[in-house]
Amino acid sequence: MKPYLDSLRRVCSVFWKLGRQARRTKFFFLFSQLPAGVALIFRLNVLFSGRASATGFYLFTNIIMFFYLQMIILVLALFYGTSVCSEEVEGRTLPYLTTRPLPKSAIVLGKYAAYTAIAAGMTALGLILSFLVLNFGDFSGRAALALARYLGVLVFGLVSYGALFTFLGSALKRSVFFGLLFSFGWENVIQYFPGSTQRLAIAHYLKSFLPAPPSGRFAFLTFRLEPTPPGLSLLILGLVTLACLALAGLVFSKKEYILED
Amino acid sequence: MTPVIAARNLAKWYGNVLGLSDVTLEIEPGVTGLLGPNGAGKSTFLKLLTGQIKPSIGEVSILGRPVRGDASLYSRIGFCPEQDAFYEEMTGREFVTSLLVLHRFSAAEAKSRAERALGIVDLLEDADRLIKAYSRGMRQRLKFAQAIAHDPEIIILDEPLNGLDPLGKRKLIRLVREFRDEGRTIIVSSHVLPEIEALTRTIVLIHQGKIFARGDVHEIRDLIDTHPHLVSIRCPEPRSLAARFLADDHVLKVDFGPDGRSLLVETNNRDLFFSRLGRLIVADAVEVEEITSPDDNLQAVFDYLVGK
Amino acid sequence: MTIRDKGYFHWEGTLRERRLAWWPITRLGLRLAFKRKGFKLLYFGAFAPALGFLVGIYISERIGEFRYMIRGSSQLFEVNPAFFKAYYTSDFLLFMMVMLMVVGGAGLIADDLRHNALQLYFSRPLEKREYLAGKASVLVVFLLTVTLLPGLAFVLFKLLFSGSFRFIVSYPWILLSVTAYSAAVTAVFCFYTLLLSSLSRNRRYVSILLFAVYLVSDILFRIFYGNFKNPAFALLSLKANLQQTGAFLFQQKPPYDLPVGWSILVLAAAGAAAFLVINKRVRSVEVVK
Repeated sequence: MKPYLDSLRRVCSVFWKLGRQARRTKFFFLFSQLPAGVALIFRLNVLFSGRASATGFYLFTNIIMFFYLQMIILVLALFYGTSVCSEEVEGRTLPYLTTRPLPKSAIVLGKYAAYTAIAAGMTALGLILSFLVLNFGDFSGRAALALARYLGVLVFGLVSYGALFTFLGSALKRSVFFGLLFSFGWENVIQYFPGSTQRLAIAHYLKSFLPAPPSGRFAFLTFRLEPTPPGLSLLILGLVTLACLALAGLVFSKKEYILED
Repeated sequence: MTPVIAARNLAKWYGNVLGLSDVTLEIEPGVTGLLGPNGAGKSTFLKLLTGQIKPSIGEVSILGRPVRGDASLYSRIGFCPEQDAFYEEMTGREFVTSLLVLHRFSAAEAKSRAERALGIVDLLEDADRLIKAYSRGMRQRLKFAQAIAHDPEIIILDEPLNGLDPLGKRKLIRLVREFRDEGRTIIVSSHVLPEIEALTRTIVLIHQGKIFARGDVHEIRDLIDTHPHLVSIRCPEPRSLAARFLADDHVLKVDFGPDGRSLLVETNNRDLFFSRLGRLIVADAVEVEEITSPDDNLQAVFDYLVGK
Repeated sequence: MTIRDKGYFHWEGTLRERRLAWWPITRLGLRLAFKRKGFKLLYFGAFAPALGFLVGIYISERIGEFRYMIRGSSQLFEVNPAFFKAYYTSDFLLFMMVMLMVVGGAGLIADDLRHNALQLYFSRPLEKREYLAGKASVLVVFLLTVTLLPGLAFVLFKLLFSGSFRFIVSYPWILLSVTAYSAAVTAVFCFYTLLLSSLSRNRRYVSILLFAVYLVSDILFRIFYGNFKNPAFALLSLKANLQQTGAFLFQQKPPYDLPVGWSILVLAAAGAAAFLVINKRVRSVEVVK
């Protein structure tokens, strides 16, 4: 087990460094800070107009959080998750990894860990910045606890979605297409369905950790939800993540990837 | 004694396309040249050797162990792929160092090994430039560097001389010979015959997915009965010399050069012919300026076997 | 007589060049797009709204027979400019157009950048505008077939089912509106797709960008509009600007209380900026420092 974990760690450290210095990471960093920019605009509006349409905490929990949950982490997880395998195949750099003394599954899991950590870091920074901007001067212990909770939800989201897209990337050629259909088709549409059908979406379990949203003008971001208990949600998300990662490792170990000449 | 690399009844199909057919081969330490035209199956064979693809039929083992499923073998194998592909946003140093880290070397050792490998291929000066700014030759040398950086005992090189200038090629050929002298096993694939000839006399000739011949170039040549040997002799009196062995059964044909100072003899027994020629030169004081065998080379072997 | 027997002779004819240099690029792009497995399904799926609306046109002419099915207002099945606007500015149609761009257009320039094919293109007697025209034409074909063709079909079937020219007499400008809006939305998506495709060598990255930028622009608009109640934020959203333009061209009330000219200006400015960037990115030699 120890050698396996050591292989994982090594792969993770190499791709943590490579992923951080990649040009696309700079773009996704800016993308992940968009909600912080929105928060800043709200705050500046309050400062200059002297009027607040809602409290900072309300805006944070009902706009910023859902912007991350229904857009930012999906895009990040989709890109980084599918990149784990696809970028090696498209870039024809796969032989450099598969001819090292590393279990093949450790390659895919190590890369997944590195890229998820990068995405989580960007998201966490943006979320914390947004929180601080919107709650500046109004910081309370309750708000801090809420921030930790929301951070946890986003990280779970990145971990679960990332695992799913890593599996799609290792198994399918058109992983991005199916990933987009899943993220912005299935995950959105299924939430309109009442009862048990909602439980077929990862978003449902993530939202189960959050307090029930009020109806109102931002209702387009939050939909009717019959939440699953948080403990069960955590278990299911964990199982989904483990299953997807196991499948990704298995597919990557067994599949032959034909590289373009 | 266990061969270093052994392939038994190895075959690979890509759908309906045959990549490799019934290859049985053993490779010993030293340099083995894998020779064949484009599309012959050389890269397929190397991919099977390095476990990147699995055989449709047969098995391949390295040091007595099956390749696929045994990741620890790779610490003893260095592979230089044919594709010109890198992590372009890394520098050359980062590239080699990162791949060494994956070999379980500590950060310090990876750094020093990378330094040494880059020095061997003359890339130290440009080691901190981004790979995307490298020329074709530099990229090729970098690929070689990552293949040797961890001191593997088996080195597999797929078209290693592509893109190198003549000086670079000479240097790499010298390096390969040094590795051979150290007792390592090196497989070099190429479709450029003079390159293989410069590297080794032991060849495996692949064409249309099959092995046409393997062994020493000259031994193979001798076995090609269907193509008599050619011997070119340059002398002041070619006709007089030719008359002396026209009666010999092993001399099949004699042609005279247009300059009137050479003759080309076709013989099906080269050894007998040379022995006869040697006696003529000594006993009859026949003046001979030059003797060459125009087809005792890899090009001729290749052409004869491939059917040109 | 063969040329060998003829020997040398001077040819007195005029040299005629084939100057549709962009056409082979377009043809290749279309062939490659249709070769992809999911694309055909997606492409024909994009016609689903048009089929639905065609059925609506049929029902509108036989409204009495379907009245038992339609409870409440039958205005829904009135075929008028609002009907056309509803089709052209529907969320589903715009979504399908973006998906077509993702699958059929993301790699148009990105793949050429990745394989260093621009040098191959520009070492032929091909100008940059011909190259870009060829690439854009691939997108134009996809987009016009889901915009212009259905619009013309709606008019045609309305005339056929109604058995008179009353519709055209009532709305003589309708064909012009259909053509103008189709051209506008096609141009917008063309520039949008080619811009993003020229920014990266990675088709996967471009596919995600195509989707993300479209969605994020709309989400940002709705967030700011929800908070500030200022319709000017509609200018942030690609979708909203297209809906404003559609409403204007079909002489309907715009969905947002904002001068339509601003939306058209924003789209035009974005198109011009996109063109400048594309022009800079597409060049035969890349300088790497």
